Amino acid sequence: MGIHSVGTSDAALVRRVQAGDTGAYADLVARYRDRLGRYALHMLGNREDAEEVLQDAFVRAYRSLTRCDDPERFGAWLYGILVNRCRTAGARAARRAQRFVYDPAALEGAPLPGPDGRTEWDDVVRWALARLPSESREAFLLKHVEELEYEDMARLTGAGVSALKMRVKRAREQLQAMLKEVERV
Amino acid sequence: MFEPVDDAIERIARHLRRPVRIDPALDSRVMREITTVPQPGGATLLGATWRWLRRPHRVTLTPLGGLAAAAALAVVVLLSRTDSQSPAPPQTESRAFQFVLVAPRATHVSLVGDFNDWDATRTPMRRAGSEALWTVVVPLAPGRYHYAFFVDGARWLADPSAPVARDEDYGAPSSVLTVGGGGS
Repeated sequence: MGIHSVGTSDAALVRRVQAGDTGAYADLVARYRDRLGRYALHMLGNREDAEEVLQDAFVRAYRSLTRCDDPERFGAWLYGILVNRCRTAGARAARRAQRFVYDPAALEGAPLPGPDGRTEWDDVVRWALARLPSESREAFLLKHVEELEYEDMARLTGAGVSALKMRVKRAREQLQAMLKEVERV
Repeated sequence: MFEPVDDAIERIARHLRRPVRIDPALDSRVMREITTVPQPGGATLLGATWRWLRRPHRVTLTPLGGLAAAAALAVVVLLSRTDSQSPAPPQTESRAFQFVLVAPRATHVSLVGDFNDWDATRTPMRRAGSEALWTVVVPLAPGRYHYAFFVDGARWLADPSAPVARDEDYGAPSSVLTVGGGGS
């Protein structure tokens, strides 16, 4: 499926912004807001953090727009900025978690959500996704949710295709193991 | 048992692929941030805009108090047509200004002012993608202008971030924009 601009006007909008039409940037923000927001939300597991990172990514992209060499691929370029911002935010959140929550025994004993019903299924998915290592979560989301090709993922993440395939494979195995764990409860 | 491995993974992926709605107010926050924070290393066109915005006599963006129903916000941005290598324009040369109004509930917005004889039909603003954002670009020669936004054919909005006009000739709120010469 890959990363595609919506229609053919991404480049035109980027050029208008580069020429000084600041308002044209609002078109690009509106166009990519929800799709990029979905990735940030699933990656960070928290709407507030996701919106903060998304806003930061849009602002950073605007400030760096002169470095967007290929305006036709603005979407992919913006995606790369968001992926990096999510990594930074995820690492920060992980450090916070290590400082304030470190009780493996309690975590082991914590009740798991049941698989019945839509709400519980949503809980299961979010719970399982949050337990994936961030690299695996990133690879799984880009491959199976954003439906990118491995070559596009490699460009976005800086990782090799083989490494990404391995991360996706591990993510799938880990998710499957977690579903079995839920099933036993 | 849930499903076979691939079915279970696909079910998770399908669940995660559902559209997510992000608060459209994020658009306004982004636009506010990019029009109020100077761009670092601004040797570019946009850098010129930021430098212009930082000067004390210019307009910057602030929330529109007292008009919560419209949730409106406005800013005027200079659109320099020259890069940093170009000489400053002569004092009589017109320069392009972008007027931006955030008014999510509006259906029609016009810019009115001294520069168009306060004629609401001459300078309609257009939506800039976001449901909330209205923009128009107007060339202005150096001088002092009164202006306002005319919303839905009935409501006048002064620019909350600009100085208020003292002489309200039309009995409605308006704002003042001073366009300096010599590249200011």
